Amino acid sequence: MAEQKFYAPEYYVNRELSWLLFDNRVLGEARDKNIPLFERLKFLSITSSNLDEFFMVRIASLKDMINAGFEKPDIAGMTPSEQLEKLSEEIHKLVDVQYSTYNKALRPQLEANGLKIITAHEDLNEQDAAYVDKYFEENVYPVLTPMAVDSSRPFPLIRNKSLNIGALLKKKDGGELEFATVQVPSVLARTVPIPGDGSLKKIILLEEIIERNMPKLFLNYHIECAHPYRIMRNADFTIDEDEAEDLLKEIEHQIKKRQWGEAIRLEVEAGINKKLLKILKKELQLDAENIYEIDGPLDLTVLMKVYGIEGFDHLKAPKFTPQPVPELPEGCDIFEEIRKGDILLHHPYQTFLPVVDFIRQAAKDPEVLAIKQTLYRVSGNSPIIAALAQAAENGKQVTVLVELKARFDEENNIVWAKMLEKAGCHVIYGLVGLKTHSKITLVVRREEDGIRRYIHLGTGNYNDATAKLYTDVGLLTCTESIGEDATAVFNMLSGYSEPLFWNKLSVAPLWLKNKFLYLIGRETKHARQGKKAHIIAKMNSLCDKDIIAALYEASAAGVEIDLIVRGICCLKVGIPGISEHIRVRSIVGNFLEHSRIFYFENDEHNELYCGSADWMPRNLERRVEILFPVEGKKQKETLLHILECQLKDNVKASILCNDGSYEKQDRRGRVSYNSQESFCQEAMEAAVDAASTEESGSRTFIPRTSHE
Amino acid sequence: MKTFAAIDIGSFESAMKIFEFSAKTGMKEIDCIKHSLDLGSDTYAKGKISRDKMDDLCHTLKEFADIMKAYKVEDYQAYGTSAIREMENSTIVLDQIEQRTGIKLSVLSNSEQRFLDYKSIASKGDAFQKIIEEKTAVLDIGGGSIQVSLFDNDTLVSTQNLRLGVLRIQEYLNYVHPRNSQYEALVEEIAMAQLATYKKIYLKDKEIKNVIVMDDYLAPWVVKASRMKGSGVIAGIASDGSVTPAGLEKLLNYLKTHSASQLADKMDIAEEKVILVYISAVLTQRIAGMMGAERIRFPGVTLCDGIAYEFAEKHKLLKNVHDFEQDIIACAININKRYMGSRKRSENIDHIATTIFDSMKKLHGLGKRERLFLRIAAILQDCGRFISLTNIGENSYNIIMATEMIGLSHAERETVASVVRFNHGNFDYRGQMGSENKTVNRSSAELDKGSYLTVAKLTAILRLANSLDRSHKQKLEGLKSVLKENTLVLTTDTMEDVTLERRYFESGTDFFREVFGVQPVLKQKKNF
Repeated sequence: MAEQKFYAPEYYVNRELSWLLFDNRVLGEARDKNIPLFERLKFLSITSSNLDEFFMVRIASLKDMINAGFEKPDIAGMTPSEQLEKLSEEIHKLVDVQYSTYNKALRPQLEANGLKIITAHEDLNEQDAAYVDKYFEENVYPVLTPMAVDSSRPFPLIRNKSLNIGALLKKKDGGELEFATVQVPSVLARTVPIPGDGSLKKIILLEEIIERNMPKLFLNYHIECAHPYRIMRNADFTIDEDEAEDLLKEIEHQIKKRQWGEAIRLEVEAGINKKLLKILKKELQLDAENIYEIDGPLDLTVLMKVYGIEGFDHLKAPKFTPQPVPELPEGCDIFEEIRKGDILLHHPYQTFLPVVDFIRQAAKDPEVLAIKQTLYRVSGNSPIIAALAQAAENGKQVTVLVELKARFDEENNIVWAKMLEKAGCHVIYGLVGLKTHSKITLVVRREEDGIRRYIHLGTGNYNDATAKLYTDVGLLTCTESIGEDATAVFNMLSGYSEPLFWNKLSVAPLWLKNKFLYLIGRETKHARQGKKAHIIAKMNSLCDKDIIAALYEASAAGVEIDLIVRGICCLKVGIPGISEHIRVRSIVGNFLEHSRIFYFENDEHNELYCGSADWMPRNLERRVEILFPVEGKKQKETLLHILECQLKDNVKASILCNDGSYEKQDRRGRVSYNSQESFCQEAMEAAVDAASTEESGSRTFIPRTSHE
Repeated sequence: MKTFAAIDIGSFESAMKIFEFSAKTGMKEIDCIKHSLDLGSDTYAKGKISRDKMDDLCHTLKEFADIMKAYKVEDYQAYGTSAIREMENSTIVLDQIEQRTGIKLSVLSNSEQRFLDYKSIASKGDAFQKIIEEKTAVLDIGGGSIQVSLFDNDTLVSTQNLRLGVLRIQEYLNYVHPRNSQYEALVEEIAMAQLATYKKIYLKDKEIKNVIVMDDYLAPWVVKASRMKGSGVIAGIASDGSVTPAGLEKLLNYLKTHSASQLADKMDIAEEKVILVYISAVLTQRIAGMMGAERIRFPGVTLCDGIAYEFAEKHKLLKNVHDFEQDIIACAININKRYMGSRKRSENIDHIATTIFDSMKKLHGLGKRERLFLRIAAILQDCGRFISLTNIGENSYNIIMATEMIGLSHAERETVASVVRFNHGNFDYRGQMGSENKTVNRSSAELDKGSYLTVAKLTAILRLANSLDRSHKQKLEGLKSVLKENTLVLTTDTMEDVTLERRYFESGTDFFREVFGVQPVLKQKKNF
């Protein structure tokens, strides 16, 4: 543990505020003129879906705490109510920027490039209006459920995250204003193309079609006004695990019930009728700070649909095809290649296929005795699942740990877990009280000279779909020491006792944090002895107090620390005497930065590790995670190269400043360098090199078949 | 290449290790599966296993069976130790386990278990062989008792069981509720009373160089500390898991000056286990101190290693195995010495008896193990003289039954003791009837049919051998034994007068004939 002085709250940033900065950086990509237009749409859409998840998980948690009277300050010394107050302010700012980006930059440019999004039905010309109305009658009307509110009909339950249209009505024969609402059906596409001639493509949003046709829903009424709105509740979601333990204790203590179903955000169209807003506000019991008046279409995730519209390829980033891995040529015997030496994989620059093939080959190989794997988030229709099922059918012992607690895709997981069980796999449905986040596969093979274990360890999930979008590293090895550890990991996951000692792997929640603290502490010690000390760490989030304090202590001792943290970073840079030697950068690019790589100088005997864990309390304390060393000379060089390239990046990297903001680097006079692009380039070159050496290494002549 | 599974159902933990044997790499552990399962508290308190525990045990064993299947294990050996041994209904339990899981579980007696522990150290190979060339003590610390075995020059000199188990001591401490500062003194007091006697009788002024410690408390942690970089708890633990007396002192001091929760955290063990580690450390330190050891070694092996080693030994899968039989013989010789038996005579009888045994292989159909029994019986046949010159048979029987011999199970010891008894007295035929008259004649009644016949055959051979040394003067040198049709011709080239021997020989042949249907004939071939 670091000295107490390094724990002072003023040295820390609230994790929620830091997360907002991350969403801001994504938004920055949407605002970047150098990026193809449709990619910018995608980034904007991501900021919106990110924010939704943030509300459902984080804001809901904070609300729960306040309801429970839980006032424990966070690492930055902020109480839940202080956090909410500040967050509300910042989120409003973020939303304003989102929509100014959409309105001022993206929409006009889309139009200039031949795509018009009609967001106000009043703008429709006659012909289009007729089409839209017909579309309404044929497709929309049958699925609508308009609901009016009066003394006999109470305010209906508005579904979480749903888009609705609220209206004020007046009976045609006079009377009071009445409130009515109708949900925009989620079963229909939200973007409706309007057929037309010429080069301009037009689309209209579904809610506009409904709004335009409101009178058809309330026949005897006169529609005074109609506006879309959207709410978010904390109902369906459990408290985020990071606070859960303390919080649940507190709730028990106070015997207060959590207020289920409470609305925590209301988004309405800007310029909404004041009376209508008042009714919504009252019925949903919302404070003004939780109401967002939106200047544009609600729920910008719709832009992902727009991205998918065909015919604008020139406005999208060219698709990158993951490259073959030079060590694993097509059709090779993977086991044989692994026996030649460890193989490091870098996705998505290199293809994920070898990992799938690893399991496929194992499933068919008569010498393979057992396959064991942890699965966290798997793609639908996963080839890995199919291979595992086949292995079980082929009589191999297949053990699969399926994590059902993976947020948001529980249902999906249960379906294929049942399928695996049917095929004869031994399925473990997670561990009580712990999420299994580690990514490890073990193949036990009986060979001439005895049992040999092949292991794949990774930083990313066994998901062939996300492997094309997330940057991750993986290691294929048959090192005996790692094999023993891998066996021990699965024995532990099966409920057996831990091994006496670990050879190479460090496993959370029991040992990993100490391992990191030890590695950081060792650098501190070296720095104090006047030796060169350097840490480079790449991860998604950094918010563990003990780790940060240890980093401060290291920095104070003179250790140079370079952090590449994509998302949340609760650490502050440039505090005199505390963190002057720490530099933090965040890379937000086309691919989602997801790999966790750790470099420790260790007095010129540098050590490199990869793993599944971020430096977050939940990763280090409440999940099963694995950190593995990469020890081959070549593989270490590759990892260090990845880190160095990312530290060199001046296009996609933002630098954390002393004031807590993130700034892109000033590139004037410098060659711009985009690490993700450069990795793509390198992967392609390596694949070409490998292909050509293979040809030249071949002993057969290749006759030309035509005269050039 | 052979794969083997060793299963150990202990009082607090059930464990299985998978091994691979090959000419190239020898014995290699592939997997180790451990499951915490407290059978001990049921057995020790109620004498029976509860239904839940039984289900848990069967479930675990079934999983073990599945794992064995996955590894395509060719052979296995499953042993239960004291928790199973001390169950009142162990036979029923064992049968049920086999019915439910398909795993055949055998029960180890204390001495067999200790022998396997000792074999597990031997499984460490050359390192072990080298250590025991010097004067070495093996300290096997269990829950109920500790076993101290002394080695000199490659062979076992003595082995003794002391009721100083870690759990036993802890129970006693719980009873008196000592303050933390009193612990060490109390453990010392409890231990030293027994250790002083031990020192007086067995240790005398032997100087022990090495102490090898086997336990489930201190050793795993020392091994772990020696293997893990950066655990940073104690300096002075060498990478081979050994410490100097000073290092041990330091370690003990460390345990003394930290709270249980601190230690649990630092040592990465459960808090309730800390006190056991502490007791084990105090015992180790005191015993090593008493012996004046220069190095205390923790090989970090478990019973499973011993089981595998035994299997490999039996199937000749390893080169250069330690000769354990020699250890057992050495042990018997030492017991004989303690009871003032004549070494020369016992050597002589041993020689004659084995000569006869070997020449009759075809006839008696007994194996290597029975030959070992015969040798032990020959060596110990007169130990009862120490108590009284009359009733030697009974006295010897009682001494042998009361003396633990490492490597012999209770039943095997019974065989040896019975042979010695009938060597002196009349043969008891009632044994063949089964359990009749159990209280009157416990010994033979408890022998099963196979053992009964073994006892009869060995007794016949030993009696014959004895009659050839009636004068106790080792007259019959260069004895040769040849089986010819219906006679066993024993030829000696001694120049001495063998009248007495011939006389006794004739009377001793009756029983021999009865058992084997062969007439022994003694011939003296004088070479002038």
